[in-house]
Amino acid sequence: MVNVQGPWSPLIGRLSLGAIPDNPIIAGAFLFSAVLGVVILGYLTFGHKWGYLWREWLTTVDHKKIGVMYILIGLVMLFRGFIDAVMMRTQQVLADGPHSPGFLGAAHGYLLPYHFDQIYSAHGTIMILFAATPILVGLMNIIVPLQIGARDMAFPYLNALGLWLTAVGAALIMLSLFLGDFSHAGWVGLTPLTEMAYSPGVGVDYWIWAIQIASVGTTLGAANLIATIIKMRAPGMTWSRLPIFTWTSLSTNIIALTSFPVLGVALGLLGADRYFGTHFFTAGLGGNLMLYADLFWIWGHPEVYFVILPAFGMMSEIIPTFAEKPLFGYATMVAASFAIAGVSWSVWLHHFFTMGAGPSVNTFFSIATMIVGIPTGVKVFNWAFTVYHGRSRFETPMLWAVGALFMLLLGGLTGMMLAMPPINYSVHNSVFVVAHFHTMLMVVIYGIMGAVAYWFPKVFGFKLDEPLGKRFFWFFTAGTIMVFIPMYTSGFMGMTRRLDYIANPALLPFEIAEEIGIGLYVVSVYYFVRQLFVSVRDRASHRVGADAWGSARTLEWLTPSPVPFYNYAVTPRVHARDELVWRREQGLEAATAAHYEDILMPKNTPVPLVIGAFAMTLGFGLVWRIWWLTDASFLGIILTVIARSFVRDTDYVVRAGEVRKIEQGLRGNTPGTGGDGTQGGVGVWRPQESGS
Amino acid sequence: MQARRYDTIARRVGYLARSLVPLSLLFLSGCSAHGLSRQFLLFRPAGPLSAADLRFTILDVAVMLGIIIPTAVMTTYFLLRYRKTRASAAYDPHWSHSNLIEIVVWTIPVLTVALLGYESYKGTYAVNPYDPRMIKTAAPGRAPLAVDVITTDWQWLFIYPQQHIAIANKLVIPRGTPVVFRMTSATVVNDFFIPNLSGMIDVMPGMRTKQVLVADKTGQYKGYSANFSGSGFSWMGFRTHVVSRSGFTRWAQAMEKSPRHLDYAQFNVFAKPTTNTDGKTYAFSQVHARLFDQVIKGVLAGKVYTTRLPPPGAA
Ligand code: HEM
Ligand SMILES: [Cu+2]
Ligand SMILES: [Cu+2]
Repeated sequence: MVNVQGPWSPLIGRLSLGAIPDNPIIAGAFLFSAVLGVVILGYLTFGHKWGYLWREWLTTVDHKKIGVMYILIGLVMLFRGFIDAVMMRTQQVLADGPHSPGFLGAAHGYLLPYHFDQIYSAHGTIMILFAATPILVGLMNIIVPLQIGARDMAFPYLNALGLWLTAVGAALIMLSLFLGDFSHAGWVGLTPLTEMAYSPGVGVDYWIWAIQIASVGTTLGAANLIATIIKMRAPGMTWSRLPIFTWTSLSTNIIALTSFPVLGVALGLLGADRYFGTHFFTAGLGGNLMLYADLFWIWGHPEVYFVILPAFGMMSEIIPTFAEKPLFGYATMVAASFAIAGVSWSVWLHHFFTMGAGPSVNTFFSIATMIVGIPTGVKVFNWAFTVYHGRSRFETPMLWAVGALFMLLLGGLTGMMLAMPPINYSVHNSVFVVAHFHTMLMVVIYGIMGAVAYWFPKVFGFKLDEPLGKRFFWFFTAGTIMVFIPMYTSGFMGMTRRLDYIANPALLPFEIAEEIGIGLYVVSVYYFVRQLFVSVRDRASHRVGADAWGSARTLEWLTPSPVPFYNYAVTPRVHARDELVWRREQGLEAATAAHYEDILMPKNTPVPLVIGAFAMTLGFGLVWRIWWLTDASFLGIILTVIARSFVRDTDYVVRAGEVRKIEQGLRGNTPGTGGDGTQGGVGVWRPQESGS
Repeated sequence: MQARRYDTIARRVGYLARSLVPLSLLFLSGCSAHGLSRQFLLFRPAGPLSAADLRFTILDVAVMLGIIIPTAVMTTYFLLRYRKTRASAAYDPHWSHSNLIEIVVWTIPVLTVALLGYESYKGTYAVNPYDPRMIKTAAPGRAPLAVDVITTDWQWLFIYPQQHIAIANKLVIPRGTPVVFRMTSATVVNDFFIPNLSGMIDVMPGMRTKQVLVADKTGQYKGYSANFSGSGFSWMGFRTHVVSRSGFTRWAQAMEKSPRHLDYAQFNVFAKPTTNTDGKTYAFSQVHARLFDQVIKGVLAGKVYTTRLPPPGAA
């Protein structure tokens, strides 16, 4: 074991009162969280909601509810990452030039360097791994089984486990805010800065274990989705009829399943350096820090495609629906998705052209990187030809999808610039790169926002408010332009990234423009929250039928909205690529089953939650080096898994008569027909006696 | 032949871009167009290396815009022309395939990537930091000047081994002379970057990277560490003075009289974590001839310049 700086005791490890930061900003954040926590706990207790929470959410294995919880975690973390962004922008606009003012003990701006560095590291880690990834996994969780006509995922219990492990990772990061500190070495964990000698605190350990635990969850989820798509398709759902979003989910999860283990190894070896005193990535004593860069980016580059491929899938679903026309070039789109996934494995070195590899190596990776641009370009053309001779309507999901398309053009331009070493040398590690990948991640965010607006009525039975959604979109877009165009520009002025103090005062106008942009984002967040609030309040007038948009094309729009817990009363038979269009044309859209059969469904189980709780204490023990706690938690996980393996009684039967009753209730609940005024929301239809 | 034509076109487009970009940005700031355009360090190369970087930037952007602008225009046109509220437009609810279009949409990006890939190959070799051929073409017959670069937490040390002098946080080089840098770090990874003169090259502990540059114009240029290296990183700039060759000789002679000397033991004192908030520079004479190698050796043998835990509450 490595000797650590500062006190250590067998009972509480490195914990001490000094671990609680006394910074006023953090105190404010703590107060906010504490009040929020008390309000929620009070509501649960006095509203007698604990039972409901336990039965319907904490122990659920329903893929739709798990998806909703993934998305909720993602949105909370998106908010946290956004606050980080506001803080960074504000620091940079304040700390510009030697005469800039200082507040709260900082020489310039209001954040000490060490604090600023943690904020940007947390921002990157959170946005990629704990906001974008969970939201995308959540959307795939909800939509893929519905699109292929399955009742649930292939492994519902594993699915819940993935969720809780992701939640533990997010919780560890949030905890680092109030207890100890977070890594200051970037979301990429620059070696040897992350080694004990240069990061002696617990920050890097928080970063390691939050990612390690969550990525186990993501890997399990990927295996599950792949198995689901391969094995659980409804009869008639041949490969050539698979909806395009399911195709991109398949390609993206193949990336996840094969790349996350590499990250696990990279962080595992770094952990060995920090805990056992090995020298994998140290500068001296035989370590090789460049090996870490390789391992990290062998995961890192596929990861950026892991987040964008589902977004491509979402755009490919939304655009045809609102252009009222099939997707142009279906086969090419599928081929392009897999081409991107395949090539994304052989380009990782473009993240460190500057590390001094020879010109032949750099040329190889440069050309490989450019090759990724080919299928990406083809996709853009195909979307354009999808709207050709169509009838486009610009409802909110379509706005987001079109916005994503234009972001992709800009991101593609700058990506192709960065792919050329002579250009890369002049802007690598500058804010130009930061602007590039934010433009690309905006494609993801736009895709996500479009998908949330698009599929929300499917899951909850009512639409999100349109006028507020549009306002959200326009303010968000204005913010994007105001933040990132000046950022590209500053890159040409030689501004490097990760600065808590900007030495060149000529950059001030651009910093001010970006601060205004962040203000526009704040307004857009207000409209987003207001949109949620208004939509839920007025849900009675926003109700929709099975096909929420009137022009939807794929299978998931066949079953009622909100989707009953068993998804399809009778497993549908698929006849065409755009099944709903086919049925509409045959006049079969509203046809209901003549007779129902018993349905076998998985039972609720608290086991994933219990394993998650042990994973949390395990992570906490590892961060603070409390060995008795880590041993006990690890043992707890093993024993729980063994105990679960003896449980045989994991399913229950929903009788045909019951299915008929539910279906009749649901079909009566379409707009205009009155319905029974149910609250909406997934799982309202779960019969009481079927609980765990 | 063909390639040369591209270069001329690229140069012309570049000239246009250089005059247009600052203009279009005027609305973002109160500065005069001239004052602001001088701030675009990457558009004002002062040496062949950064000039090459700029040339390839312009070429790449011009080629990419050649596809991206038509695509954006076409998409916008389709969206507006075939919108639902415009009832007169043609509507074909089943059309989703055309062999001709598919061939075209694959061919365009393939050809573009072929062209840019070839340019990238040329460019990568042209600015290869290890390739001494550049010296011969840019400044034929000149004996190169050697400079050893060592980064610490968070300062720059530039050693002139032929002159036995060193200077911290400031770099002085003669105009028109190839300068060959050998770089290493005493602590973590930094990135050597002088926007007007040279792109970024990593400076890594226990290892030696290289960069070669020639400065065409005298003047002062900003230098940075571009790779994050810890809390003093934002202050880790250095000023580069490009002086005439006789001016350089005079400067080097004056430096030889500096009272401070530098050997490995003194270097270890210098290398204590220091945030250079007020841009201090230090001059050294009688610098140990093998200091650069000693630092690398020290790091390889496990020497670290440990960061202390921040005081409680500093988080
Ligand atoms: C046409 C496709 C693309 C090309 C050619 C491309 C090219 C590049 C290159 C060469 C770099 C390295 C820049 C440097 O550090 O010097 C880079 C960085 C990056 N790209 Fe892209 N890219 C593409 C698409 C994407 C997509 C789709 C995403 C994610 C949604 C993405 C996210 C990122 C991120 C996160 C980084 C930098 C991470 C960091 O250093 O912190 N890129 N890209
Ligand atoms: Cu990449
Ligand atoms: Cu190296």
